[in-house]
Amino acid sequence: MAHFWSSIRDSRGFDALLVWLALGYLTVFSAFPLVYNFVISLQTVDLFSLASFDRPFVGLENYREVLSDPVAGTVLWNTIRFVVLSVVFQLLIGFGLALFFQQDFPGSSYLRGLFLAGWIMPALVVGAVWSWILAGDFGVLNYVLRSFGLIDENIFWLSDHQVSLYSVIIANIWLGVPFNMILLSVGLASIPQDLYEAAELDGAGAWQRFYTITLPLMRAPLGAVVSLGIIFTLQQFDLFAALTQGGPSNASNVAQYWSWQLSFQTYQISRGSVVSVLMIVFVIGVAAIYTRSTRYEQNY
Amino acid sequence: MTSMAQIELEHVDKHYGQFHALKDINLTIPKGSFVALVGPSGCGKSTLLRSLAGLESISGGTMKIAGERMNGVPPRRRDVAMVFQSYALYPHMTVRENLTYSMRLNRRPKEECEKAAKDVAAITGLDELLDRYPRQLSGGQRQRVAMGRAIIRDPKAFLFDEPLSNLDAALRVHMRKEIRSLHDRLRATSVYVTHDQVEAMTMADHVVVLRDGIIEQQGAPLELYDHPANRFVAGFIGSPAMNFIDAAVSETGDAIVLEGLDAVLPIDRRLQPGRQVKAGLRPEHLRLGAPENSSIRLEIAVVEFTGAASYLSSATDPELTIFHAGRVEVKSGEVVGVSIAPELVHLFDPVTEERILAQSGSE
Repeated sequence: MAHFWSSIRDSRGFDALLVWLALGYLTVFSAFPLVYNFVISLQTVDLFSLASFDRPFVGLENYREVLSDPVAGTVLWNTIRFVVLSVVFQLLIGFGLALFFQQDFPGSSYLRGLFLAGWIMPALVVGAVWSWILAGDFGVLNYVLRSFGLIDENIFWLSDHQVSLYSVIIANIWLGVPFNMILLSVGLASIPQDLYEAAELDGAGAWQRFYTITLPLMRAPLGAVVSLGIIFTLQQFDLFAALTQGGPSNASNVAQYWSWQLSFQTYQISRGSVVSVLMIVFVIGVAAIYTRSTRYEQNY
Repeated sequence: MTSMAQIELEHVDKHYGQFHALKDINLTIPKGSFVALVGPSGCGKSTLLRSLAGLESISGGTMKIAGERMNGVPPRRRDVAMVFQSYALYPHMTVRENLTYSMRLNRRPKEECEKAAKDVAAITGLDELLDRYPRQLSGGQRQRVAMGRAIIRDPKAFLFDEPLSNLDAALRVHMRKEIRSLHDRLRATSVYVTHDQVEAMTMADHVVVLRDGIIEQQGAPLELYDHPANRFVAGFIGSPAMNFIDAAVSETGDAIVLEGLDAVLPIDRRLQPGRQVKAGLRPEHLRLGAPENSSIRLEIAVVEFTGAASYLSSATDPELTIFHAGRVEVKSGEVVGVSIAPELVHLFDPVTEERILAQSGSE
């Protein structure tokens, strides 16, 4: 026992302790749920067998059922649109703002700070605010569009099956822009100013400097922001809960919300697990790309 | 070398808000010459160089490069190349791509770029390194790439911003010679900023000493060494630095009495008796001798040997440093005699700090 305590006090034992704590945490709270989730997706689970581990094994039967569900196609297409549009616009707006605030004008750092406000608000609150903005009959967005004469009659942003998904996408873009902007700002700030000066003396105009210096040197931060953006977008749940609940009739339903509906609203827990297992496989792929992209990080 | 002016600065001023960084700079740089801008940090030498590059705009005066007025012209239209202190190599490009960046911006044919890269690589000794990235190069190699990137453009002027300060001492001495010989081969016009007066003295044809945004003196390196215009230049040029001692002109007017040392030094000019002066004695001009037939007698506090030379510091107040080529048999605590040739005694006005000229003393 004395030996144990002395090994904690010298740094080797302490290092090992920290590693084991982290590993233990990961095992209990990450690895076990992942594996358990995968196991459930191969079993028949109902409310009666939920409490026991001993449940009928059905192989890939749940996967077959989920994939042949008519909703699956809609959800897949919605998820693709949700992720692609959110990530693309978050990136474009975030990068644009990062470049804008990189120009050192008076008050730029304060203004940049204001943009973080959206980031620190809980997504559920953001969803509630957007549900007022987007409200069909009293929403401020309709009011603005009508005042400018852009529309003649109100758009029912949240209950029209043609626009409800885009409403969530708009709210999600707003939510994700600060994150993109901050990460890309950090990347931009780390490019030494004298590279731009050298390029300028070498004859590069503003656009040439952007294409030949900024973009290639931003490769690692851009890769990181895209990968993390995809992951964050795939776990965006609160906005759907607050805005459309996936409706009307699954018009704005996406994989992560559908998985939750299956598991906790209709109690088809195995099917919910199937959806989340498929998402995990995809996210692991994205995470691999993210890890690779950090390889291109520059040391100046 | 022709006498045609490649760079002309007339009454150039630069303000940063309240701060007056460059004050009425007048400087003419002949085509093909190597000019060093030297001074302590904050003296404005880098600002002047960056103004030449167009990276800073000047607040007043005119700036001409190859006869063309450059005020307000953006850097990329000035046709000057700059070698940065940090080298500023593009980290995502190979050496070849770094060298040919300016040519590729101009959409020059591939073969032409390749040939130019090969030629410049041969001049700068980078032949084997064309496919490497900057991070795979040593400090000296990066330095060469930075120079190659400037050379390939055949610019109207080369601007060097302390290019050797990131190298270790041995490499710095080597690169000093390399840059100078490249300059001679290319017959280029070079402006070189440094805080190291040895670099300025050894490399340049013409040295410009700056302090607080003012040109204190400009001229050939040895001219500055032999005839410093004021106390600042005298103390800045030369290593180890000149000794400065308060003194008064003797009653006869042809010698000075050093304060605190109880010594009389003959001088080669006549000054008003009793006049207060600042005497400047270069360590290498002080000759050691027997105490009884020397004008100054000093107790030595520290003796340092470098092998080839000895440095002696006196125990007196003011302290004197003596440079002696070779070795000396002097121990600390010993009293030695020191003398100096009258024509090597520099005299400065204690108030204006200007050099006291040979004839102006008898006012």
